Amino acid sequence: MGNVLLETLNVRVVGSGEKFLVLGHGVGTDQSAWQRIVPYFAPYYRIILFDLVCAGSVNPDYFDFRKYSTLDAFVDDLLNILDALGVDRCAFVGHSFSAMVGILASIRRPELFTKLILIGASPRFLNDGDYHGGFEEGEIDKVFSAMETNYEAWVNGFAPLAVGADVPTAVREFSRTLFNMRPDITLFISRTVFNSDLRGVLGLVKVPCCIIQTSKDVSVPTSVAEYLRTHLGGRTTVEILKTEGHLPHLSAPALLGQVLRRALSR
Amino acid sequence: MPTPVTVARQCLTPEAANALDEAVGVARRRGHAQTTSLHAVSALLSLPSSPLREACARARNAACSPRLQFKALDLCLSVSLDRVPSSQQVGHEPPVSNSLMAAIKRSQANQRRQPENFHLYRDISQQNLSNISCIKVELQHLILSILDDPVVSRVFGEAGFRSSEIKLALIRPLPNLLRYPRPRGPPVFLCNLENSNPDNDRGPRRSFSFPFPGFAAFFDGEENCRRIGEVLARRRNPLLVGICARDTLTSFIDSVEKKKDGILAKEISGSNVISIDSDVSRFINGDVDKGCLDSKFEEMGRVLQRDLGPGLVVNYGDLEVLLSDNRKNDENAKVGASGPASYVVAQLTRLLQLHGEKVWLLGSAASYETYLKFVGRFPSTEKDWNLQILPITSVRPSLAESFPKSSLMESFVPFGGLFSMPSEIKGPLRNPQCVTRCRSCDDKCEQEVRAISKGGFTFSMADRYQSSLPPWLRMKELGTSKGLNVKAKDDGIILNAKVAALQKKWDAICQQLHHTPFPESKTCQLNSEFPTVVGFQFIQDKKEFADGQRSNSRDALPNDCDCRNINPVMSVNLQKQSDMPYSVVSKAKNGSFLPRLGEKPTKGDDLETVGSISPCSLSNSSVGNCSQASPTSVTSVTTDLGLGLCSVLSSNESMKTPNQKHIDLGKDFSDCFRTNIDLIHEGISNRPTQSSSSSSHDFGGQFNSNDFKRLFRDLSERVGWQDEATRLISQTVVNCRTRSEKCHGASQRGDVWFNFIGPDRRGKRKIAIALAEIIYGSRDNFISMDLSSEDGMIKTSSLFDYEELNYDLRFRGKNVVDYVAGELRKRPWSVVFVENVDQADVLIWSSLSHAIRTGKLSDSHGREVSTKNAIFVMTSTLTTDSKVLFQRIEASNYSEDKILRAKGWPMRILVEYMDSTNSQNLTLATTTREGRTSNPGFLNKRKMLGTNEVLDQGEIVEMSKRANRTSSMKLDLNIPAEEDELQETEDGSVDNDSSSDNSKPWLQGFPGQVGSNVVKVVFKSFDFDTLAEKLTNLVAEGFHRIIGSECLLEIDHKVMEQLLAAAYLSDSNKAVEDWVEQVLTRGFVEVPKRYSLSAHSVVKLLTCEGLRFEEQTPSVHLPLKIILT
Repeated sequence: MGNVLLETLNVRVVGSGEKFLVLGHGVGTDQSAWQRIVPYFAPYYRIILFDLVCAGSVNPDYFDFRKYSTLDAFVDDLLNILDALGVDRCAFVGHSFSAMVGILASIRRPELFTKLILIGASPRFLNDGDYHGGFEEGEIDKVFSAMETNYEAWVNGFAPLAVGADVPTAVREFSRTLFNMRPDITLFISRTVFNSDLRGVLGLVKVPCCIIQTSKDVSVPTSVAEYLRTHLGGRTTVEILKTEGHLPHLSAPALLGQVLRRALSR
Repeated sequence: MPTPVTVARQCLTPEAANALDEAVGVARRRGHAQTTSLHAVSALLSLPSSPLREACARARNAACSPRLQFKALDLCLSVSLDRVPSSQQVGHEPPVSNSLMAAIKRSQANQRRQPENFHLYRDISQQNLSNISCIKVELQHLILSILDDPVVSRVFGEAGFRSSEIKLALIRPLPNLLRYPRPRGPPVFLCNLENSNPDNDRGPRRSFSFPFPGFAAFFDGEENCRRIGEVLARRRNPLLVGICARDTLTSFIDSVEKKKDGILAKEISGSNVISIDSDVSRFINGDVDKGCLDSKFEEMGRVLQRDLGPGLVVNYGDLEVLLSDNRKNDENAKVGASGPASYVVAQLTRLLQLHGEKVWLLGSAASYETYLKFVGRFPSTEKDWNLQILPITSVRPSLAESFPKSSLMESFVPFGGLFSMPSEIKGPLRNPQCVTRCRSCDDKCEQEVRAISKGGFTFSMADRYQSSLPPWLRMKELGTSKGLNVKAKDDGIILNAKVAALQKKWDAICQQLHHTPFPESKTCQLNSEFPTVVGFQFIQDKKEFADGQRSNSRDALPNDCDCRNINPVMSVNLQKQSDMPYSVVSKAKNGSFLPRLGEKPTKGDDLETVGSISPCSLSNSSVGNCSQASPTSVTSVTTDLGLGLCSVLSSNESMKTPNQKHIDLGKDFSDCFRTNIDLIHEGISNRPTQSSSSSSHDFGGQFNSNDFKRLFRDLSERVGWQDEATRLISQTVVNCRTRSEKCHGASQRGDVWFNFIGPDRRGKRKIAIALAEIIYGSRDNFISMDLSSEDGMIKTSSLFDYEELNYDLRFRGKNVVDYVAGELRKRPWSVVFVENVDQADVLIWSSLSHAIRTGKLSDSHGREVSTKNAIFVMTSTLTTDSKVLFQRIEASNYSEDKILRAKGWPMRILVEYMDSTNSQNLTLATTTREGRTSNPGFLNKRKMLGTNEVLDQGEIVEMSKRANRTSSMKLDLNIPAEEDELQETEDGSVDNDSSSDNSKPWLQGFPGQVGSNVVKVVFKSFDFDTLAEKLTNLVAEGFHRIIGSECLLEIDHKVMEQLLAAAYLSDSNKAVEDWVEQVLTRGFVEVPKRYSLSAHSVVKLLTCEGLRFEEQTPSVHLPLKIILT
């Protein structure tokens, strides 16, 4: 089981060092998104890279629509990977979707994680009363229908928006990985994301967290970082990156690398 | 994670596997790490009978000729392939990249869903669910999937193809036109089987993982229910936590009641569910009495006793309900455990205790906080209830209805692409133009690429000259191609990387050829009108211009090539050009040199290297020669152009070798004069404007010291206070040029590495900029970054960092090394200024030290760029070098840190009146106090009476402290004494010894050879005190002139800092003086008009902190007017 999973999800362990560092990518990217970050940590950590089952680089046939309708299945995958690799302690860096997965994983197995670093994380993307998640229900539906009508056009429009700035390479890279995903899976996983709500369970997190947030992110308003900080159960810090976009590891790897290093050493 | 080729091959039919092998071959030949879709396309196009090529031929744009468009495709493809980073390990099979593997997998899935194949594959997949690799992908499907890859479709788009049309052509080969009646054609990306057979029973098909059947059924929270079931099976009582926990709870109860399969595990399936949540909430709200609830519990007891099924799940609802009585029945709660909620809890606990094995409690909480409150109120429950918290995160099963299957699928049918997308339109619009316009460029570029990728230099120069381009353009081509070849020859392994650069340059040339402004080409034609005269001109000029050349050449350069973007190209070219006529001339005129050259046998080596290449065909020989000879001559001539100093030859011997080469070149050229005549004419015609200064070649032995003197003088002009450092820098630059001159054959490195240590950040920067301007001719050739800021951006800590705005834009998406490499690629002749190198991270460190060792800087993509023509200046503020002697100079009043941090506030003048006692104290307190009323005792201490003398620093500090104690005035003169201590400076002695290293380990980490490459230059700290003194005198002078000497002038320390900062940072020496003269004096003039000044008046010059000033004087960053209050 373990080995099949490792193979399916393209799990890779790189770098030399004692401690494990898990890098979890977000929806629309795959582990290649971390390629500019990895060199910063490869000398000091054993870095575990994997693809989410929804990533374009994973055989879409493994994506079981029934199973992956909630985040828990992804958490299972993550924990199974770590178990299969025999990891007993690790630091987890999760971007966006993986940040959510990391939160849940740390609730289920707090002893496994020394630290969670959440990049562009949000417990809930939809606005709800006092909570400002950044999206209205209607907007989301529009996005979904845009995705349905013409995926490629949507990718072309969405990628620069998400990357947030004029970094053509990052936009290209994100478009590539986003396009590699099968559109129905993208749509499905997006719905899963927008239907998820972690607000109630944040208090269950006991692992120290570091929230890394760019100063302008189309998907996550800055207030969310503050919300996370106050509601997460563990010792939590917030780092604001002086850059824009939802994908700082693509658009500003050097900046993120520094902040990550600082966050990990704390 | 790349897939091994063998694994990928297993998924393919022999035909497709064959294509994959070809692709792998392409990748291996190019030395790439992975086989990508691009390689596959390349291979597919070159297959003997290529369906892709055929499809392209049919799908091509009718507006262009097929040959042209195929050429464009070939070019675009090779350009993209060249961008793929090469890998070190060449030789084994490059594994299949993720994107290509994804394409293979996509095609597997497509193929299986093809209606024709459906039944076949369904049978297979039903037998063996997990193994889909049994499907062998056919070539056609593989091609279709590969065309879906954005990278590939971009390439096709750039060549003017629409990948959708190609797909169409692929799917509907001409003979099969009969299949047209089908309106939409068979889907290739996703299956619309669902649509075509809507009546089909879904039941059996569920067995294989088809993405859409029963889609709606997945979303009733089944997954959550399953998890709840799991917890129950573990005989624990789940508590669902999450915003949507209540909904999930409801849906779980529903599905258990409906006895759905697969929710509860076998051993507990068939359990009953009883919901008491509504009863509980009514009871707690006081709507019903205790009896009602009791009857429920009795009922539960009966059910359990009847022993139906494996157990009973009791749903008590939301914890919030149990907590709500806390507010409503406050008195009850106070009584303790007697409230209704406590009663419910107690009852539930009893139920559990009675029927332990058979009862499960099930509840929900909106958030963890609710749970915490509950546990806080009923501490026993945590243990008694054996709760397991289950985070619930999915909101609600809303997906099903809004999931129109058909539209999504249609969008992914390749024909969906027929609805033109922006990206695809762009391609054809832009590219055919380019293709048609630059056909000749294209052809040549292709040739070159091919030639280079084969590893040879077989392209023919002659070809170029036969082309119909105007001579000016041709010259440019020549220059470029040579420059590239030089690079390519440097390192055979990274050839491919170079090809990319080549392509880019061709693009640039292409751009230039067809978009140059008209006047420019005119100039060139003018030049070429008198080519033959030039030789003589040159000779005559050399004396007249010997000195004034620098300015001339600087003027000339921008005129001649105002196409900044291809500056490096031009410069390469210029140098080449200038070499040739020079050699001709020197042969003819420098007769005195020639005999000597002939006598010296030492020339041997160099001649041989040149000679070994010259036997090649005529056109090749010129290239060969250039590529051999140029590294040195390039540098020398660069210096010529920039410095007007002529090549940096320290001795006759070193002088000779280049000359020999020139002569050789000249010979070669004279041999082939007829063919290359254009070239030489071109070179000559450009001569007078471009490299006029090389005439000073003739002045033989004096060069070195001349060079040095001139460089030293120019540097000192700009940064006068760093005498020793400037001297060492000039010396090193000159020596380095000389050295590179001497050893052309072996190490042709002309790069210079400095490490500027010590204080005076501004001075370092100024010197570096000066180097760029003096040596490379323009400030554009100055590349700077600061590693102390997190991302290589320059910190905008103070107003004075104005020039570093917009830095963050440059760094988006790159790291520092990428940025430097990119800039160096654009401008190889540059000064690279790396501030605070001691704070470099691992990546930057390794790239830099690699560059120091090898002369090649590799960016994060693995592409390398030569640093051979650059000057690298690294700075660090560290001064703690054990071997450098410290000379403690007088502690300074103004630290560099403080000055650099000085903010630009508006300034104001404040007039106050003092009684005499107070004013005495004040006089003591201020350094810059002016007036006759001050205490004579202290006046003695002043060196000059009547001016704003800066007193001995230590005393001032003390006095100001005392003054602060005695008077309550807001005096801002507290300079911490510790700060002064920090201001120790090393004496100017320069340490060239690599063994005395910085304290930072990585600098020590440079291997010995590297250490000697890096020249360490120690900077002194800037003498702010003298400057302060000068400025104070200046201000006081103005004050006296206008207001007279009765009044006191008090200059706030902050104002002084601001003035100093402005003076320190401004480029011209006079800027601050002018400001004092104009702005401040104007302010003073206003003072007597507004106030009646007496002998007791104190005129204070203060800063207004917190205000931003609206206007600045242009040259210096000081306010445009003084506020009077």
